[in-house]
Amino acid sequence: MSAAELARLQFAATTGIHWLFVILTMGLVPLVAFMHTRAAYTRDPAKKAVRERMTRFWGQLYVINYAVGIVTGLVMEFQFGLSWSGLSKFAGNVFGAPLALETLIAFFAESTFLGMWIFGWGRLRRGVHVTLIWLVCLTAYASAYWILIANGFMQHPVGYEVRGGVAYLTDFGALLTNEMSLTALGHIVLAALTTGGLFVAGVSCFHFLRGTKETELFRSSLRLGTWVAMLASFFVVVVGELQRPIIERTQPMKNAVLDNSGVAEVQRRLVEQFGPGDYVPPQGWIHLSMNAMTLIGNTISTITFIAVFLLWKDRLVRWRPMAWLMVAVIPFAFVASVAGWVVREMGRQPWIVYGHLTVEDALSHVSRASLIASCTVFIAIFVGLAVTNWTLITRFAVRGPDATQLGVTEPLAEALPEQPTGGSEDKQPVPAF
Amino acid sequence: MSLEIAWLGLLGLMLAGYFVLGGYDYGAQMLHPFLRDEHEESKPEKASGGNAALDAIAPFFLGNEVWLVAFAGVMFGAFPHLEGTLLSGLYPLIVAILAGLVLGNAAVQLRRRARGVRGRRAWDALIVFGGAVPALCWGLVVGLLLHGVPRRADGSFHIGFGEVFTPFVLVCGIATILLFAAHGAGFVALRSERETAAKARELGGKLLLGAGAAAVVALLLTFVGSGASMTNRGVSGVIAGALVVALGVAWWSFTGGHEVRAFVATCCATALPVLLVGAGHYPYLLISSAGHGLDIHDAVTDDATLKILSVFGVLVVPTILAYQAWSWWAFRGRTGLRHPSYF
Repeated sequence: MSAAELARLQFAATTGIHWLFVILTMGLVPLVAFMHTRAAYTRDPAKKAVRERMTRFWGQLYVINYAVGIVTGLVMEFQFGLSWSGLSKFAGNVFGAPLALETLIAFFAESTFLGMWIFGWGRLRRGVHVTLIWLVCLTAYASAYWILIANGFMQHPVGYEVRGGVAYLTDFGALLTNEMSLTALGHIVLAALTTGGLFVAGVSCFHFLRGTKETELFRSSLRLGTWVAMLASFFVVVVGELQRPIIERTQPMKNAVLDNSGVAEVQRRLVEQFGPGDYVPPQGWIHLSMNAMTLIGNTISTITFIAVFLLWKDRLVRWRPMAWLMVAVIPFAFVASVAGWVVREMGRQPWIVYGHLTVEDALSHVSRASLIASCTVFIAIFVGLAVTNWTLITRFAVRGPDATQLGVTEPLAEALPEQPTGGSEDKQPVPAF
Repeated sequence: MSLEIAWLGLLGLMLAGYFVLGGYDYGAQMLHPFLRDEHEESKPEKASGGNAALDAIAPFFLGNEVWLVAFAGVMFGAFPHLEGTLLSGLYPLIVAILAGLVLGNAAVQLRRRARGVRGRRAWDALIVFGGAVPALCWGLVVGLLLHGVPRRADGSFHIGFGEVFTPFVLVCGIATILLFAAHGAGFVALRSERETAAKARELGGKLLLGAGAAAVVALLLTFVGSGASMTNRGVSGVIAGALVVALGVAWWSFTGGHEVRAFVATCCATALPVLLVGAGHYPYLLISSAGHGLDIHDAVTDDATLKILSVFGVLVVPTILAYQAWSWWAFRGRTGLRHPSYF
């Protein structure tokens, strides 16, 4: 492999694995925030106890998943400077701003507030604690926005001018409202909600299949998950289609490959425009990914549509094949979303900034030996962590709410008199039924 | 004060914040096997693997590491030309830092999810590794930046064994890893139950002696001409002096049992190297081993971009400082009482 291919592999592996955790983070956090709010403001003590257990159970799965999301995110921030210094040389004036704002506005707050939420059980006042998880949710989505602004600039540069071979920002508003960014943002937000909904619904089905005693907790989760997945998966297809006219206008080659017609004609035009070179991205990969995404997206949309009707009188979990199908479908949402990114990013090749800078030209002067070493190190670590993390998520999902460690206050705290900092609402004794 | 100096100050603040906050995380990570609470051995919680040092850093852990991300973000936004040169130039060290960081960070978060003692031991080893490697490598980076890097005609540079394995750079690495460890001990002393705190104080004092000795060697190497080559000698001298004083005060407070004063002093000692690199070389951000280097005007982003970033910065930076301070306040006090443990 050449240095450029190694650097691309390293970037793709980091981003790809990061994304697999980000999508579940984004999909679960609004559901956890919703559950937490409902639990916090329920009066009936028995119901409140169930809803609180529900929040802690799903919250813990979300937090375990977040661990790999944050560490791969740390590496992402450095990837551009490590292997693609040509990108900062050409587009640093424009491209750096959204990334800087993402770290300052979103990542910083998300991480700090999540730390407070994890350790805030029984220590922070109810309203404050609930607000924290909503802030985590808000900043997670803000993060996605800024990252897609940066990504949109690479796909379809706007709001800039080139002077002396360097891009300068001229219209910040145009950069922030790049249609290539906003439609993609809508698409991935809905994809994330689909994934989160499917995860919650599927895990709940699994517990019903195993004859759980926590019927109230999992019935409530199943309803929430199925409805969210149904609505989101319907619109994810719609918003996905909205991107096609934009691609047609801005990225003729990707469009030709997706339509599978006129590739040679577009290649000829691009050679006239940008000089000799190969402007055809890897077609096989793009076709495969596009087909996989479309097939999975439509299947999930259909399954969840049927599932919503079957929620009535618990038919969904009583008809075992359907319940198993809901469990089996969980991984496919992840596959479809990665396929979507393959279409978007491979379809942009050979450009790193569309029409201005090629991937080859953006590569840092890093030796092949260093790249082989770093590529091996990163991929080994990330794959190891991803597998470990999924094992842990599965284990804790299977064990059920009894094994939840999140928010378990030490017995010591109960014995002590009320401290001024804690909220009294959270400490009410719960009658055992 | 011009905008670019303000942004350089912010860049320094982010890195210094990371050294102070991430520094005590790494210290506590490295020391956590030695700072078990002996009472815990008999308590039932032992089965779940609680650890005093990790409990001490837990509520702040996620909020500390992001200072590094913000540093990278500010560097990319405001000084894109420094980012491309610096990170690709320091490639092997940055990769080592990131690898350590990723493993250590994930291990801290996942350790208590392990099923048995063996699984937890594996995570424990990764936690120590993930504290030691970044601490050592950041020290090497500071040493390299103080000494100067081998820049080529086109401005890019690459470090190899020849640059890293010099006495001065190695001594800087050793001083930093010992200092971070002592700083972590100081934090654990501040947040843990009395007995663990006493143990941490004792450890901190010893580690500081080592860090101080390494710092003195680095100073001596500089005096004989094979150490730092500072652009602004006077300012650098003052900062280096302050660093030595901070180390002295920290050692004196550790041995005297003044936990707050010891921690304040180690905070200063971990932050001052950043100031030394920044103010000692100003207006250069990177100096070359042979003559001058990349200055602030070469590194800074375009004026229009900087103005937009500044509008956000004025609003966002105070907000960040406010909620970070809030999180420190919300989880103040020693661990054990009404502190849910999770990590």
